[in-house]
Amino acid sequence: MDYEFPKEFDLIVVGTGVVESILSAAASRVGKRVLQIDENDYYGGQWASFSLESIIKSKHHKKDYGGNESETNLLRFGNDLVSLKNIAHKFHMTSNNTLEEETDKIENEEQPKENKWTEENLLKLSRKFNIDLYPKLQYARGDFVELLISSNIARYCEYRSVSRILIWFNNRLESLPCSRSDVFANTKVSVVEKRMLMKLLTSLNDKEKHVQNYENKTFKEFLTDKKLTPNLIHYVLYGISSSSDDTSCEDGIEKARRFLNSLGRFGNTPFLFSLYGSGEIPQAFCRLSAVFGGTFALGQQIQGFSISDDKFKSVTLQSQTVEAEKLVLNIENLPARFIKSDKLEYISRCILITDRSVLDSEKEHLSLIFYPPTDGKSFTTVIEMGFLTGTCPNNLYLVHLIAKQNTSPQEDFQHVIDKLFASHVEETSQEKPSILWSYYFSMPETNDIILSDDLPNNIFVCPGPEIDLDYDTSVDKAKLLFEKMYPDLEFLPRAPDPEEIIIGDDNEEEESTDINEEDHDKVINVEQEDKENVISAEQEDKVNVISAEQEDKVDQQ
Amino acid sequence: MDDYKFLFKVVLVGNAGVGKTCLVRRFTQGLFPPGQGATIGVDFMIKTVEVGNEKVKLQIWDTAGQERFRSITQSYYRSAHALILVYDISSQPTFDCLPDWLREIEEYASNKVLRILVGNKIDREDREIPADVGEEFAERHNMYYLETSAKESDNVEKLFMQIAEDLMKQARTRDLPRYDSNNQTLDGKTSTISDSSCCSRLQ
Repeated sequence: MDYEFPKEFDLIVVGTGVVESILSAAASRVGKRVLQIDENDYYGGQWASFSLESIIKSKHHKKDYGGNESETNLLRFGNDLVSLKNIAHKFHMTSNNTLEEETDKIENEEQPKENKWTEENLLKLSRKFNIDLYPKLQYARGDFVELLISSNIARYCEYRSVSRILIWFNNRLESLPCSRSDVFANTKVSVVEKRMLMKLLTSLNDKEKHVQNYENKTFKEFLTDKKLTPNLIHYVLYGISSSSDDTSCEDGIEKARRFLNSLGRFGNTPFLFSLYGSGEIPQAFCRLSAVFGGTFALGQQIQGFSISDDKFKSVTLQSQTVEAEKLVLNIENLPARFIKSDKLEYISRCILITDRSVLDSEKEHLSLIFYPPTDGKSFTTVIEMGFLTGTCPNNLYLVHLIAKQNTSPQEDFQHVIDKLFASHVEETSQEKPSILWSYYFSMPETNDIILSDDLPNNIFVCPGPEIDLDYDTSVDKAKLLFEKMYPDLEFLPRAPDPEEIIIGDDNEEEESTDINEEDHDKVINVEQEDKENVISAEQEDKVNVISAEQEDKVDQQ
Repeated sequence: MDDYKFLFKVVLVGNAGVGKTCLVRRFTQGLFPPGQGATIGVDFMIKTVEVGNEKVKLQIWDTAGQERFRSITQSYYRSAHALILVYDISSQPTFDCLPDWLREIEEYASNKVLRILVGNKIDREDREIPADVGEEFAERHNMYYLETSAKESDNVEKLFMQIAEDLMKQARTRDLPRYDSNNQTLDGKTSTISDSSCCSRLQ
């Protein structure tokens, strides 16, 4: 398109991942002139969601790095250190004749019948998939959800609460008892254990008291000393605090508290998920940035940027050079010379499309599954998404596996996949879901990456996704960077609701002010109605959980 | 009583400068802002209209300028009930871009979304796209067609009223959830995902 950018901005943001999009929104929000660009023609970078077809086609790394720096005096964006690695995808259905004959008949139907999935069928539904490169959940009372609410960005997304949490235990999947009602409903836990568990869960709130004497010990040791039974240690250690054997006592308690604190706000579990996939999240911040005047351009050919006197000066696009006071870019776009770390940790990722849930039940559409570490294999987090999450078609499931990488994604997950899934369509067993498609890759952990000291101090670098389940680390990072960039300005103050904004002639103003307050209520109602399906159905349940827990807290005191 | 039975999300797309914001402001505020740049801080506009004897609330979303470099967020399209695709009848390029917009709409919007093609700026003397060309395009792509002038206020009211009526019909036949003001017991101070009346008790 032949539009030109203004020649000068306060801030140029290169990349559209979560952290840099939060910064873009925050800067626009306080009146900075922001240009946010991306070489990809989609939002999100390593935080994006893709259709089935596009994830298969996507290369997920930049084509060309560095090279001709001396010719143009421009630094090229990007490096080959932090791109995705070991990408491998595969359809697992064997094409057999009966299936092919059947294709014509099922063309007009929404879904083929069971076991009739073919590669063509799946690809036909490609757009109904929103496949996250890195799925994220949100603690109902975590920093991220608070930020969404306080900044009024929550209105750009819809949410679903995680409907159940399962844990691999004694060679099978079990529900994780996390609230009092769960504990009491659980038939695997004896009455004595129930009391022990409730006592522990309620007492964990007093962190200071616990951490004394356990400064150098693990959470597991702490739980063992509490004389919990192996059952309970399993639930609390690997489930509620999603920790490993070597997690420190302090971290373990902190994680457990976050989990417990977020219970009872929405649904039966502490977690929320953004409808249509995690790729919606960076876009929500970009929308806010645009609403407050930010300029957005995807699919840009960027030649590079220039530095003079140890300061970032300008970015050169295809045919235009744009200056700004500051540059924010994600780690993928940082030239290699500014990266000090030479060895990176990786996260193993696997994405599966399956034909049924790992544990069938009527209403479960979003399951979080903890698979504790075994035999030197890392703790594995599994997220299974049904079609009500807006990420996959009806009758199919999208399964995400996440673990700290030991060797390779395939090897890291083999034991989990063997236990939870039937490996080939031919050997479909009654209970286990069949894998129809798989996608493996390694994602670099860039949160702790060390940057070189000669990085100009008006350049700010944003990490990609880290291994945590949620966004809170990313929010912290964004806040920290924002404080460095604009020390005296407020970070994402609440955006006004449409009715609070008075536009137009002065004589209009009077009227608008009058109806202001009344209208404000309406907006909220409107939004709530929108959410009705997603949230209010669960409210009844939740209230019970809350009051039960409150009672218990009181009891303890 | 200032309540309403239905709430619909209407979104506008189309090239920059075709008059999307003008259409919205003409309809919601009765204003025509000449030479108006992007409006800072405005997400969507709201107007309640009456269809039959029922109150219908239209929540009308504008692109926030993201159309300029083809960078509209996907979530903009999500959960839209109606989608207005606008071009400028005096500008061939804005008409030529329509297939690109349709591709994007098909990719991200629900396939049940009500789609309307609007040729705006009929007050202009220098028309480049004859009405029947626009109409034919709309027919071919299964859309409603209307020509408007935000400046002269021609057909603007009609456009949005038509949308409200059609969506009402759809809602009735599909039995969409109805707004019931008696159900609102929650504190509205936070926002969409929060129902703080029960949360705040916990703190």
